[in-house]
Amino acid sequence: MKSIFNQRSLLWLASLLALIGAYTAIASAAARPDLIPPSQDIAEAFSALVSGPSAKPAPGEMPAAEMSGHAHHHHGRSTDQVDTLLQAGVTLQASLGVSTLRVLFGLAVGLPLGILFGLWMGWSRRADDYLHPIYVLVRSVPPLALITYIMLWLGHSEAHRLIPIVYAVAVTAVIPTYHGVRDLAAKYLVAARSLGARGSLLLNKVILPAAGPAVLGGLRYSIAIAWMTAVGAEMLMADDGMGNLLVGGGMWASRLQTRSDPAVIIVGVIALAAAGWAMDAVAQAATARLTRWVR
Amino acid sequence: MGAVRIRRAALALLALALVYGVAAEVAHGRLPTRVWMGAHFVEDVQLLPTYGSLAEEGAFLVESRILPDSIVVSSRRVLEGLLLGSIAGILLGLATGWAASVQYLADPWVTFFRFTPALALLPLFVVWFGYGESSKVLLIAAGVAVITLLGAHQGVRRVPRVYLDAAAALGAGPGLRFRKIVLPLAFPSIFASVRIAAGLAWVTIVVAELIDARMPSLGYLLALSGAYPRVPTMLIAIATVGALVLAFDLAALLLHARATRWMRRSA
Amino acid sequence: MSGAPPILEATGVAYSYPGATPTRALEGLNLAVAENEFLAVLGPVGCGKTTLLRIFAGFLRPAAGTVRCAAASIDGPGWQRGYVLQEEAIFPWMSVRDNVEFGLLAKRLDPQARRAIGDDLLRLIGLSSFESAWPRELSAGMSKMVEVARVLATDPAILLLDEPFGALDAQTRARMQDALARLWEQRRKTVVFVTHDAEEALYLADRIVVLSPRPGKIKAEFAVDIPRPRSLDSRFSPAFLDLKRKVWEATGAG
Repeated sequence: MKSIFNQRSLLWLASLLALIGAYTAIASAAARPDLIPPSQDIAEAFSALVSGPSAKPAPGEMPAAEMSGHAHHHHGRSTDQVDTLLQAGVTLQASLGVSTLRVLFGLAVGLPLGILFGLWMGWSRRADDYLHPIYVLVRSVPPLALITYIMLWLGHSEAHRLIPIVYAVAVTAVIPTYHGVRDLAAKYLVAARSLGARGSLLLNKVILPAAGPAVLGGLRYSIAIAWMTAVGAEMLMADDGMGNLLVGGGMWASRLQTRSDPAVIIVGVIALAAAGWAMDAVAQAATARLTRWVR
Repeated sequence: MGAVRIRRAALALLALALVYGVAAEVAHGRLPTRVWMGAHFVEDVQLLPTYGSLAEEGAFLVESRILPDSIVVSSRRVLEGLLLGSIAGILLGLATGWAASVQYLADPWVTFFRFTPALALLPLFVVWFGYGESSKVLLIAAGVAVITLLGAHQGVRRVPRVYLDAAAALGAGPGLRFRKIVLPLAFPSIFASVRIAAGLAWVTIVVAELIDARMPSLGYLLALSGAYPRVPTMLIAIATVGALVLAFDLAALLLHARATRWMRRSA
Repeated sequence: MSGAPPILEATGVAYSYPGATPTRALEGLNLAVAENEFLAVLGPVGCGKTTLLRIFAGFLRPAAGTVRCAAASIDGPGWQRGYVLQEEAIFPWMSVRDNVEFGLLAKRLDPQARRAIGDDLLRLIGLSSFESAWPRELSAGMSKMVEVARVLATDPAILLLDEPFGALDAQTRARMQDALARLWEQRRKTVVFVTHDAEEALYLADRIVVLSPRPGKIKAEFAVDIPRPRSLDSRFSPAFLDLKRKVWEATGAG
């Protein structure tokens, strides 16, 4: 078993290196650093975004950079997008951190909501008949489409970024839960009720474990949706977070003015992929631990 | 669908419509009409427009052809992206599922793109393809391709070995086995992923059009109505997007029913 | 027939499954089950046996007629009418012992009491050494026995068993039938046992009712006078074989 694992991960590593190699080759072949930045540019953008704006010069000093019009120092790459971001005090770590927090919040609030709703609909035929059509309607509206409307009610606050994330997560969590209760848990419910189980015992010891695997399976999808919505909301209406970094900072209309730097975008995308992958791995591990009893 | 279920569904939807209508009428004149837009106040904003004003606005949007044109443009982009992405994704997914060697080669790429929200690539696509049709359609295609790739891949991998072994024992070569056994059995998984991808395509297009707002499109309509703001238009735009998502989903369901009927006949 | 009132009684029961073309599963069914009687309900697939059992268990309400348990109407499921499904319903997320003691948990017994009864039942079905095993480690036959033990734990007056051994192979089925017969001989209860296998019905039951397919009605009734305890020899006794032929004729002609 161990040897297979090593073989597979070696192959995987080889493919990864091949990917990086292929990209470098394509980049140099295309020779269009403004469209396909060479790996070095990407590395420079990465270091610039990680280190952030460097300390202000000591009083009395007159650095050449200041005289040439740059109002700040930083190491590495200097492009329109990088400069705008650093001017606003944006760093890669901070952006990733903020986005992660938003995603976690969305999951923490949205998952219970969606699961409760799914449990209710799956358990009661009557509730299902009444609520399912409403659910279908609610699900059809992309949460990010609501963002401007929410802003009218709640103003420019964190709420109008978080609400779409919670909404998207809740909507996604309903279906696996519903399916888990209706299809998977049904026969166990019959057996348990014939043994006299009712109420909270039924919920905690029968419904939740029976529907558990289905719900946990949907968790990974909810995570992906949460990231998607968070990044989208940040691209539209935030001055922090990964979405903001990708679009180049600045508010609303001025976002289009900043010239996008593909190196920054690639750095951002890689960071997002890494974060998403990490969360997914945690979810997978948690699922495996919680469903050891599954055949 | 039993009569009871249809009745209850209709009741629920009616109740919802009624609640909104009542809330809008009650709120009329009571809710604040002055909204802070980040830099300034705007007057005369109906936070909960009544059915009357919605109907009025709706009529205007339809007559002036703003709404129909937007619907056509956005739907076309979604369809093109869906088609392009599905074909690419399904072909790649079938390949990685069927041939293990291809799978190991493609794995890092797939893993990488799987965790990248399609929207994150929007700025990159704009850099590469400019502001226009292609960047949006290709963005949707990229997101769709990842999902359908996974769907096709899993569909192929989940075909029970027994069927393939039985076919091989009867002398069927790999080509025949693939066409007559793998494809039909992988179909449900592929189709499910296309349905999910369609929903995602709509999410992507709305945001892409919101950011790169150009007339006419639903996203632009949404952005414009948000900028002024004109709430009735905003709600109509949101409702239109929702209705289109539903329509696409229903079409997918119908297609699925048609396709499985065809498959059963030719099998 | 003894003068004691029946513990389970169905009078004029009818039931239809909804759908595009409603299926009349049961019609005008009258059945009385005496206390501590082992009754087998025999019939082909789709004759309404499961429907009848579910009505007795309290999961379905008859469209017409009444069902009574100890002269009270049946309002829903309850531990007094223990029900073992046809499908595998052992809780896979609980150990064998936890499964067996589940009904006791619902009855709010304290842990020592639960443990004692659990010990007793595990010994009865011969799975004491498997008390901490996960269901996924058990064979189908063992799973089913755990389900039977689970339902026995609450000591219901009535057991409703829906083709519990249907999914097992012939040898395991024979062993399970033996185990059930032994169990019943030790702890007499009212049992309503649904099956499509005439031999199984004859081996286990005191009385057999034969159900006709759609709509389900009682077609024939047989008293099984084979002496207890029954064994392999009983299966080949002339009385047994004679009854078997009669039952086959009753079911076969349709």
